[in-house]
Amino acid sequence: MKRRAKQPDAGTLALDELTAGERAVIVSLDCPPAVTRRLMELGLIPGTEVELIRRAPLGDPIEIAVRGVHLSLRRSEARHIDVRAS
Amino acid sequence: MSARAEPRLRRIAILGNPNAGKSTLFNALTGLRQKVANYPGVTVEKKTGSCELPGGVRAELIDLPGSYSLQPASPDEMVVRDVLLGLQDDTPPPDLIVFVVDATNLDRHLYLALQVIELGRPLILALNMMDAAAERGLSVDIAALERQLAVPVVGISAARGEGLDALRALMIRDVKPSSRHFRRWPAHLERVIDRLEQRLPHREDLPDRARRDLAVALLLDHGDDEALARHVAPETLADAHLLARRLDEFSPGWRSGDVAGRYDAISAIVEEVVNAPAGAHRDSRREAIDRVLTHRVWGPVIFVLLMGAVFQSVFAWAQPLMDGIDWGMQRVGQAVGGAMADGPLRSLLVDGVIAGVGTTLTFVPQIAILFLFLSILEDTGYMARAAFIMDRVMSRVGLSGRSFIPLLSSFACAIPGIMATRSIDSRRDRFATIMIAPFMSCSARLPVFALLIGAFVPNRWIGFITLPGLTLFAMYFLGIVAAIVVAWGLKRTVLKGGFPLYVMELPPYRVPAWRSVFITVRERSILFTRNAGTVILAITVVLWFLASYPKGSDAVRALETQRTAAAAVADTARVAQVDREIASASLEHSFAGRAGKFIEPAIAPLGFDWRIGIGLITSLAAREVMVSTMATVFNLESTDEDVQPLREILRETVDTRTGRLAYTPLTGLSLMVFYVLACQCMSTLAVVRRETNSWRWPIAMLLLMNAMAWGASFAVYQGGRLLGYAS
Repeated sequence: MKRRAKQPDAGTLALDELTAGERAVIVSLDCPPAVTRRLMELGLIPGTEVELIRRAPLGDPIEIAVRGVHLSLRRSEARHIDVRAS
Repeated sequence: MSARAEPRLRRIAILGNPNAGKSTLFNALTGLRQKVANYPGVTVEKKTGSCELPGGVRAELIDLPGSYSLQPASPDEMVVRDVLLGLQDDTPPPDLIVFVVDATNLDRHLYLALQVIELGRPLILALNMMDAAAERGLSVDIAALERQLAVPVVGISAARGEGLDALRALMIRDVKPSSRHFRRWPAHLERVIDRLEQRLPHREDLPDRARRDLAVALLLDHGDDEALARHVAPETLADAHLLARRLDEFSPGWRSGDVAGRYDAISAIVEEVVNAPAGAHRDSRREAIDRVLTHRVWGPVIFVLLMGAVFQSVFAWAQPLMDGIDWGMQRVGQAVGGAMADGPLRSLLVDGVIAGVGTTLTFVPQIAILFLFLSILEDTGYMARAAFIMDRVMSRVGLSGRSFIPLLSSFACAIPGIMATRSIDSRRDRFATIMIAPFMSCSARLPVFALLIGAFVPNRWIGFITLPGLTLFAMYFLGIVAAIVVAWGLKRTVLKGGFPLYVMELPPYRVPAWRSVFITVRERSILFTRNAGTVILAITVVLWFLASYPKGSDAVRALETQRTAAAAVADTARVAQVDREIASASLEHSFAGRAGKFIEPAIAPLGFDWRIGIGLITSLAAREVMVSTMATVFNLESTDEDVQPLREILRETVDTRTGRLAYTPLTGLSLMVFYVLACQCMSTLAVVRRETNSWRWPIAMLLLMNAMAWGASFAVYQGGRLLGYAS
């Protein structure tokens, strides 16, 4: 469960650190290139607003809403998406 | 009748995101005139159907798999790209594309739409779910959307059949391709793509503009794209890879360089054409349902209850139907048998062909009932929630939540369970799930467990559970443990890798389209009967031959003389007794009987003798056949109804070579462990072959499972003997 080495900027946090019902704006995606591309194609583009809807009953994955679409995302992937609370 | 040659059928592809209502539209347009095959070399199903258009025009419709992007992340999406870019050899690019989008969610659905519009092919945009949009107060300016995209747009509701006439009228028109461009690669990337595009040869079957998408695909390829490697000159491919590596170095993040630009274009379009009152984007019904169905406590509770109901239905509702089919096939067998003279042909027809057809048909109720539930769960949107709830558990063994329901279904029967793995997007996860499904103890193992537990496990209470109950539980548990081990191992070796992202859309809740549900149930039942059924029939005939030939040993001839003598004095009891002895002696003399003796040295270390060996061989037809085979071997009436006499015989049989009991409780335990782990079901192998589109996987399954079964039974029997439990 370690955060990546890069120190996050002040005010940014990982997508999986939001609480249920909290909204934020995507700052950057730090995944392998093909994964980053796919997440962006699904609407997770820097500058877009995202809401953490809920966590699954066992804590993982999380449900997010972006551009009117609800997606289930594992925390291991959400951890690499930086957001800034809006 | 006119003599002129029929013109080539117009080929129309239906395309769109998953959950756009694509299949509902396909079903509405084609009805039951559908065909399902496989795209060559992959496990993606190719659905085609024929469709009647105005003016007596017929068209061939292709239902392309649901897709999010032309840059593929799954075998399904790969097929879509290959068809559209002319890389799919058996499916040339379509004459017309009907692109289905969800009108309530244009923002996301337009992403792939824009990619496909840019290809420069004739395309109609079908705005689906106009009814749901209206309910939420959303309105879409169709004329403005037509202007923006330069393609014909039509509003429909596929589930209610609304707007389909307008769509059909458009489908016979000569639709001009759009000339719009929406892509926005940064300038330096546009130049790289230009260069690559110019090196690609012109193709008759593709618009020139599609070459640009081919160039993008080449650039984004990681070197594992087989379709590209087949269709593009190796030096061009090598150049593209070199360019991509250089860009990786100097322009990190370039691989998603066009995505944001395309979404900017979409936002501008949506801004102009969609009129949404404040709050229309929130689906309050969805929120209310989700608050319950994915609630921390109620979510799992409802999930368990629902799964219990599904499981119980497959188990309980299917049973009377299966018994009915069984009864019917026996009547057919008797009728055919009665009408024919005794002989090899009658035996082949009744015990081979009719029995094989019967075996195939008895699976159909389970398949139909399971797919009835699965398609309702899928169409309502609950399936995605089930996967959401179970994902954490399944991720422990390297799978995803999508694997849970197929595995649960396998406790009733692995056949429908394996067929249900089609809803798993990841090919590797799907194959791993298929490989472990037969470890779930299915209902056909129960008669075997019941016989062996009844014979060898004393009925004692251990705390709150009886010893027989505990043994049965242990057998189910052993199967689950074996499945976990195998899944874990496969996902770390042969099924390692794959697209490393588990993202799943949680679609809005919808009322299922009953027509589509019905079509799915019918289609799965027919596919199984036709594809797996032929394999099952063939193996049944082979097994019949092995158990029936060669005929007439000396022992059998002596018994037949005795039977004639008994019949002459009308001693019916004696006749029945001799008949049972003849059946037993014939089986022992047959190839199957000899095979049982032949494999005895291999199974002796597990505690099994040749009689069990025969049972193992005949079990290939279905595991419960073990029980009736053992009855035949021991001169009992061949039935699996009352196993009491058989239990006693198993307990009391003495090995004539050693003078000791032939079977001990340790033998019984070893045999049960063998039945948990061994792959003995030819129907499973037949369905694995159909679902993986290759013989490699069923053969691997057979070898792996039987090796595990042998090893585990060996450990149980020899370990037990070392501990002094031999007798």
